[in-house]
Amino acid sequence: MLVRHRRRIALLGVLVVALVLPYIPPFTGEDYRRWLVGAAFMAAQAVAFDFTAGYINIVNFGFAAFVGLGAYTSGILAVDFGISPWIGMVAGGTVSGFVGLLTGALTLRLRGIYAAVMAWFVGLALMGLIRNVPDITRGSLGLAVPSLLESSENLPYYYVIMAMLIVTFAVLAWVIRSRYGLAFRAIGQNLAAARASGINPTRYLVINFVLSCAFAGWIGGFYAHYYGILTPDVMLTSHTVEVLAIAYIGGRGSLWGAAVIAFPLSIGVEFLKVQFSTLPGVHLVLYGLLLIVVMIYKPGGFAAVVRGLESWLIRSRPGDTATEAPPAS
Amino acid sequence: MAILELSGITKRFGGLTAVNDVTFNVEEGEIFGLIGPNGAGKTTLLSCLAGDLRPNAGTVRFDGRDTTGLAADRMCRLGLGRTFQIPRPFPHLSVLENVLVAATFGDPDLHGEAIARRATEMLEYVTFPRSPATLASHLNAAQLKRLDLARALASHPKLLLLDELAAGLTPGELADMAALLRRIRDNGVTILMVEHVMRLILELCDRLSVLQYGELIAHGDAATVAADERVREAYLGQNYIL
Ligand SMILES: Nc1ncnc2c1ncn2[C@@H]1O[C@H](COP(=O)(O)OP(=O)(O)OP(=O)(O)O)[C@@H](O)[C@H]1O
Ligand SMILES: [Mg+2]
Repeated sequence: MLVRHRRRIALLGVLVVALVLPYIPPFTGEDYRRWLVGAAFMAAQAVAFDFTAGYINIVNFGFAAFVGLGAYTSGILAVDFGISPWIGMVAGGTVSGFVGLLTGALTLRLRGIYAAVMAWFVGLALMGLIRNVPDITRGSLGLAVPSLLESSENLPYYYVIMAMLIVTFAVLAWVIRSRYGLAFRAIGQNLAAARASGINPTRYLVINFVLSCAFAGWIGGFYAHYYGILTPDVMLTSHTVEVLAIAYIGGRGSLWGAAVIAFPLSIGVEFLKVQFSTLPGVHLVLYGLLLIVVMIYKPGGFAAVVRGLESWLIRSRPGDTATEAPPAS
Repeated sequence: MAILELSGITKRFGGLTAVNDVTFNVEEGEIFGLIGPNGAGKTTLLSCLAGDLRPNAGTVRFDGRDTTGLAADRMCRLGLGRTFQIPRPFPHLSVLENVLVAATFGDPDLHGEAIARRATEMLEYVTFPRSPATLASHLNAAQLKRLDLARALASHPKLLLLDELAAGLTPGELADMAALLRRIRDNGVTILMVEHVMRLILELCDRLSVLQYGELIAHGDAATVAADERVREAYLGQNYIL
């Protein structure tokens, strides 16, 4: 109990830091604030991704396509129908969630790698679809999308995406703490035992997948109306891999680990891109290396490091009620 | 009254017939033993009953209804509990959470705070030796078997299928296990147990069936089965004492 309480306070502290960060040099500059927006965008995606990969243990390789689907839905609704981006973003989430439902019903009866590969195919098919209906999407030429806010400054966008990150995190963490979360973890850790304990896996797998895809679509809507231009590249698998790397480095099965680590990682990567602008893709190499280091030395990722520190602190303070640290949540 | 009725259960894996035309009943309130040499098809038969495998032929009636081919989660919610030959814990959940899963999803009649209470009670019931907060991945083999039993009991089964629960236990632990299983039965749970430890079988079981190469070769009370010529042959050369 005490541990959970303390962790919540720590998380609130981190949140406060993130919220005042744009006022602390060098983040007062527009370029740096743009990095912050990108970081929060990655954090929100990593949370939605880990909700699936870290709990039901299925990697949605088509994740970026669901982000892109939400982006295009919201973009097209705004361009062709004049619908407010705020509503469009929710519509984007709904469409992604619905396509997630179809994908889930199709793939989640398969296990592990087969489900992952099927989700990947669906993602590639979606990208192909967007590319091949240029009348609606303008294909690779790019779709110019109205922006979300009047202002062209990054600061208000930062607070919008931070709010979306908080909502994504709060909703998904709440689900994880419910009986649904217990079912997700049971299914992800031992399918046969979950079945033998009365859990209908397909039902919970699909619910999990739909929620993850819906948030991906909603977050994608933000992307559309922030950058103002959409190309099918938003759906590239390399974007999924970036999100995956952040989620895994943050710690599988830890939503807060993914959310927190996304900031230093994503900002560090932007920095690298500037330093090595002649080497495109250098950030993917960095992610790859970090991922390998994490897998070998700390499979629990950043979250496990924090938990280790936590129990070390508790142990080195006698008189404190030290209990065995509860498992990930 | 029979709580479980198998008739003509057959399960094939490719060309191998692991279970061949097996028919028997388990009566409500008894402890029923299923024995047989390695590879006889015992685990496969349990899986066919529990809904993990679909038999190629035959029917299963459980608690008065035809349950042939129903999925394992349905069978669990209908009141069939099962432990696995090799325990299958949720490794990154605590001991308490492991049992909580079955209490939450396995018993449709359980709600609210009663769920957590049931989980705690079941751990006490099997006298689980370690803290409920321990991660399942930190348990040893004997503890995992006990956890598996607590998990199976948490869904409040009418019938419990046990697959070699006593394998690897010391004589002292064996006596504890015998007492525990008897207590479970006395609390109204029918037990169908697969076991190699003959001492336990002879001590507990009201009736036995013997499986060999997927076929039932003997059936009856312990004395009858032990005297059966085919059973003695089946076990010849193996160090089982009948
Ligand atoms: N999933 C499977 N696929 C193919 N063959 C299988 C499968 N499961 C079991 N078998 C085979 O079916 C036969 C019966 O196996 P089973 O595990 O049911 O035996 P058992 O009586 O439980 O043996 P043991 O006492 O060693 O546990 C064996 O020959 C085994 O190799
Ligand atoms: Mg077996």
